[in-house]
Amino acid sequence: MKHSSISIFIAVIMLLYAALLSGCASGTNKHATSVVDYLFPNTKNPVVVTPGIPVLSLPLRVGIAFVPAAAGRDVRQSRTSTGFTPFQGGGDLALTEKRKTDLMQEVAKNFKKHPFVKNIEIIPSAYLTPGGSFANLDQIQNMLELDVIVLLSYDQVQFTDITLSITYWTMSGPLVIPAQDNDTHTMLDAVVYDIKSRKMLFRAPGTSLVKGSSMLVDQSQELRTDSDRGFSEAAQSMIANLDVQLALFKEKLKERPEEYKVVRTPAYVASRSGGGGGGGSVDNIMLLLFIGLGVGFLWIKGRR
Amino acid sequence: MDQRPSLIASRLPVLTLAIGAFALIIFLFPKLGNLLIYDRAAIIHGEIWRLLSGNLVHFSLAHLLYNLFAWLIAGAIIEFHGYRFFLLLCLSSSLLIGTTLFILKPELYFYAGLSGMVSAVVTYLCLQGLGEKGVWRWLCAATLAGMIAKSVIEMGSGSSFMLLVSKENFVPVPLSHLAGIIAALLLYFYELHHHYRVPKDK
Repeated sequence: MKHSSISIFIAVIMLLYAALLSGCASGTNKHATSVVDYLFPNTKNPVVVTPGIPVLSLPLRVGIAFVPAAAGRDVRQSRTSTGFTPFQGGGDLALTEKRKTDLMQEVAKNFKKHPFVKNIEIIPSAYLTPGGSFANLDQIQNMLELDVIVLLSYDQVQFTDITLSITYWTMSGPLVIPAQDNDTHTMLDAVVYDIKSRKMLFRAPGTSLVKGSSMLVDQSQELRTDSDRGFSEAAQSMIANLDVQLALFKEKLKERPEEYKVVRTPAYVASRSGGGGGGGSVDNIMLLLFIGLGVGFLWIKGRR
Repeated sequence: MDQRPSLIASRLPVLTLAIGAFALIIFLFPKLGNLLIYDRAAIIHGEIWRLLSGNLVHFSLAHLLYNLFAWLIAGAIIEFHGYRFFLLLCLSSSLLIGTTLFILKPELYFYAGLSGMVSAVVTYLCLQGLGEKGVWRWLCAATLAGMIAKSVIEMGSGSSFMLLVSKENFVPVPLSHLAGIIAALLLYFYELHHHYRVPKDK
């Protein structure tokens, strides 16, 4: 009897342990930010925007930023029952500031090759307030003298249990992707806005699926690695898409001149000539000489 | 009898302000700038006004402001002095700068900037100042020597002194400054030769 009680006790302990392990290893981990939440926050006074006609004065000054998570919302939505998370550190876990900067630099590098881009400012996350909407963009525009901003958002889901499908909510609607055990689905979305007119110029998503095959013991490390790889792959996919969408947008500019105004400055025209642009500019020696002459003239005038 | 104008002939520097305002307007309306910029291909196709008007176009706000600042100093002094032929100097220097670049710089497709004209005006002012008395004469002599030395060094070394607008995407063209100086010298000696150094208000 005593022996059977011990056996039952051990069996119960093992079952509880198995359940615990099962709980630890199952669920989904979702990390997401949303351009929709940032530009059109769900507040008492919803943001009403009437886009104007963008005037794109080439070359453009472009800003690039990751949108913050919506105010008061934990970006991490997990169905994990016992607290297992593949990421450490809390908060906006999937992407550290350093990783965000690296990804933005990749996108910026791609943008810089285009002659219509004058310069690109990588904007730290701290400059964007959750739900800041266009008022926040106006502040950034004034501070950094931008024409256009590329708003990046991400959505990463890691599955550690049954087969599901996931839905990404993008600026263009839902994107449904089937999911498998231990898979890491990542989507990066770039939305390009003309700040002054509040008009979205174009968007380009990039997705990645990293198939999971980890054993239970190294799952945490594996998921972290998969997360990082997911963002890298999604960034490459998004950059390729940006080129495609940009080409389409250029066509749109030609086809619909009434919707978009493009102004080519002399500097842009000269830069497009293949480096044959020259300028006559006052240098520091000349300016010193002229200031000396002006001061001397005023001094003599004052004496008379 | 000295027929030179007084050093302080109080008058509004109308032409200086007008040219400065025109440069500003061109900058504010890029389409106008595109019509007026020195564009070698367009000049070849008959748009010869670009030889003159390219001097009034600027590539950036910094480029405009530095040139405009120097222009206002030089132009205002010359108009305060009441020296004649200022308008002729502006026209001849801009034409000489344009044609010099067109002939000697075939690799230059586009050119913009007021600094060549500024060089012309300062040189002309200093040449006129050499005929004045006192400190002003020496100040003009020193400035003229500095301008000529700078241009000779630039042309000799084939590079420009440090630009104030260092972030711009254009190549500095010191030849435009030299052309401006030559235009001023030509006008000054032409004036001397024909005894035209008579002030308007005397």
